[in-house]
Amino acid sequence: MMKILVCIKQVLDSDRPVRIHSSGKWIETDPHGLYRMNRFDEFALEEALRIREAFPGTWVDALSVGPERAAQTVRRALELGADEGIHILLDDERYRMPWETASRIAAYAGNKGYDLILAGVMAEDDMQGQVGPMVAEIMGYSSATAVMSEKLIPDDNRIYVERELEGGHREAFALTLPALLSVQSGINRPRYPALSHVLRARSQKLITIAAKTWNPPAPRDHVVCLVEPAPVKSSVFLSGSPLEKAEKLVKILRENAWL
Amino acid sequence: MAMMRCRDNEIMVVAELLEGRILPVTHEVIAFALALRGGDSQFIRMIVPGRDIQEMANELADAIGIDVIALEGDHLDPYNAEAWKMALSALLAEWNPRYVCIPHTSLGCDFAPGLAAGIEASCITAIEGVCNREGLITFTRSIFNGKVMMQVASDADMTVLTVLPGVFKAEEKFPTFPDHKKGRVEVVRVPEVLQKTRVLGMIRAEERDLDLSIADVIVSAGRGIGHEENLALIRQLAGLFSKSAVGCSRTVCDLGWLGYKHQIGLTGKTVSPKLYIACGISGAIQHVAGMSGSKYVVAVNKDPGAAIFQMADVGIVEDLTIFIPLVIDLSQTDPHSPA
Ligand SMILES: Cc1cc2nc3c(=O)[nH]c(=O)nc-3n(C[C@H](O)[C@H](O)[C@H](O)COP(=O)(O)OP(=O)(O)OC[C@H]3O[C@@H](n4cnc5c(N)ncnc54)[C@H](O)[C@@H]3O)c2cc1C
Ligand SMILES: Nc1ncnc2c1ncn2[C@@H]1O[C@H](COP(=O)(O)O)[C@@H](O)[C@H]1O
Repeated sequence: MMKILVCIKQVLDSDRPVRIHSSGKWIETDPHGLYRMNRFDEFALEEALRIREAFPGTWVDALSVGPERAAQTVRRALELGADEGIHILLDDERYRMPWETASRIAAYAGNKGYDLILAGVMAEDDMQGQVGPMVAEIMGYSSATAVMSEKLIPDDNRIYVERELEGGHREAFALTLPALLSVQSGINRPRYPALSHVLRARSQKLITIAAKTWNPPAPRDHVVCLVEPAPVKSSVFLSGSPLEKAEKLVKILRENAWL
Repeated sequence: MAMMRCRDNEIMVVAELLEGRILPVTHEVIAFALALRGGDSQFIRMIVPGRDIQEMANELADAIGIDVIALEGDHLDPYNAEAWKMALSALLAEWNPRYVCIPHTSLGCDFAPGLAAGIEASCITAIEGVCNREGLITFTRSIFNGKVMMQVASDADMTVLTVLPGVFKAEEKFPTFPDHKKGRVEVVRVPEVLQKTRVLGMIRAEERDLDLSIADVIVSAGRGIGHEENLALIRQLAGLFSKSAVGCSRTVCDLGWLGYKHQIGLTGKTVSPKLYIACGISGAIQHVAGMSGSKYVVAVNKDPGAAIFQMADVGIVEDLTIFIPLVIDLSQTDPHSPA
C-alpha cells in the first residue's frame, strides 16, 4: 500500500491588503481571518487524490505547520478527500524560515514510511520554493521541483516525472521511491469538495502535535525586516471617476495612434 | 540575534549552460557576486559542472578573467539534481566559500535548497538586491507577488544564494582584474556513483501562439477577471486595436479559461509589444519576466498596492468589469463628433 504525505501551507489571501507587522519581521495577522490553502498545494493535494484513485488502497495524509488557525486548512484538505489531517501546531504567528519548517515536517515524517511526499512549487506568501526540496534532502528522498506530470507503474519502485523549464520546455526523470515532488500549478484541475467528504471532515479529529515536541531546529538565516516596495510614482495613476479615467485612457491610446 | 560580518573568503558562482554554452544569466550572477564583494573580482570563482568542459572552462577564464573550476563528470550532463548536489557539496566542503551564487532559474531552484540543506548552509532564494548595513549583509527578495519586500540575513558560515534573472546587469568583462588578465582553470573530476535519479531527456514545448509574437498590442487577462465569461471583455478590448492579441497569466490557463499558448511569463511566452494592457494581473515576478520588454504598459487592477503598477506607464485603480466596458464604449464613439 502506497503512503503519501501532502504538505499544505495556510496563506493569507493575497487580494487583501498586506500590512507589515509592527515588529517589522512579518505581516499583520488578518483579524477577519481570510486565510486559505496555498493554491500550489491544492494542485499537490489533487495529484495525491488522483494517485489514490488510480491505485486503490493508497493512503493520503495532509500536513500543515502553522498556528492555531492553520487547523482550518488541514480540515479543508480532509473535505477535499485526504484520509488524515496532521497539524504541527506553532505557538505564535512568527514567520519561520523554510529550513525551520522543513526540519519540522521531516521530524514528523521521518519514521512514517511515506513512499511519496508532495509539496507545492512555492508558497504564495513567502515565495521561497525551498521547503519541498529541503524536506527531501533531510529525509534522503530523491526529488524534483516544478513537476508538471507524474506517472507510477505498478510494481516499479520508480516514479516518472516531467519538470517544467523556462518557456514551457520540460525534462523527464525517473526517480527511485521514496521521492518528494514539488508540484507546479496546472498539473491538474483541482476538484471541489464532495459533500460526503465535507460531512466526514466535520467530525474527524485532526492529529495535532505541538511543534515543541521536537527540539527547535537551529535557524540558519533570519528576516531582518520587511519593507514596502518603492512607491509607485503618483503620475502613473489616472485620477477621477471611472468614466473620467476611461476618457483619459482613451485619449492616451489615441494620442499614441494605437486606437 | 548574532550579526554576521562579511568575511574575506570566497564567492563561488555556479554557471548555467545550455547546449555547451554559458547562459547570459551566469554573467548576471557574476555581476551580483561583484556587487556583493564591493566590485572586487579577486575572490570570485566560477564552477562549471558538466562533461568534457575543460576547453570551455579555459575559454571562459580567458574571456571573463576570473578563476574557473571545471567540475567534470559524465553524469553531470544533462542536469541531474542528485548528481549535481553530490558533486557540488563535496567541492564546497573542500573549498568552504562564504557564498555560493546560483541563477534563480528552473535549474537553480531545483538543486539550491537541497544543496544548502545538506551542507548546513543558509539558503536565500530569488534575490533582487543586496545591501551592507554596517557590516550586516542583507538580501532583498519579493514576497506576496511583489507587494512587500523581505530582507534576509544569513546566520550560517556558508550561504547559498539564488539570484533572480534580469535584475543585475551582466558585464562581459571585468575591468577590476588588473593583475592577471586570464583566470586560472582547475579541473576537478567527480566519480560516478549509483544514482536514484535517472535522466530521461528533454521534451520541447508545443509551438506557442504566433499572434503573440507579432502583435503590436497585447491585452492580457489575469485571475482578476473573476469569471471565464469576462474574457469577452478582454477580447472586445483587444479587438479595438489592429494587430492585437490576447494574452494571460498562468493562473488563467490553470483555471482552464485560456489555453497555455496564451500564457505570458517565465514558463510561457516572452513578448515585447508596443502596448501591453494588463487586466487583473498582480504582477508576480514570473509574469513580469515575460512582458517587461513591452514598450508601454497600462495596468488595470483594483488593488493600488499590486506590483504590476511598479512597471506600468499608466495605472488605473478600478474594478475592471466596470472600467473596461467604459473604455470600449468610449473608443467606439467618434472622437470628432460633438458629444
Ligand atoms: C516556477 C514558476 C513559474 C511561473 N510561471 C509563470 C508564467 O510564466 N506566467 C505567469 O503569469 N505566472 C507564472 N507563475 C505564477 C505566478 O507566480 C503568479 O501566481 C501568477 O502570475 C498570478 O496570476 P494573476 O496575476 O492572474 O493572479 P493573482 O496574483 O491572483 O492576481 C489577481 C489580481 O487581480 C486583481 N483583481 C481582482 N479582482 C479584480 C477586479 N474586479 N478588477 C481589477 N483587478 C482585480 C487583484 O487585485 C490581483 O492583483 C509561475 C510560478 C512559478 C512558481
Ligand atoms: N508551514 C508549512 N506547512 C506545510 N507545508 C509547507 C509549509 N510551508 C511550506 N510548505 C510546503 O512547501 C512548499 C513550498 O513552500 P515555500 O518554500 O515556503 O515557498 C509549499 O507549497 C508547501 O507544500
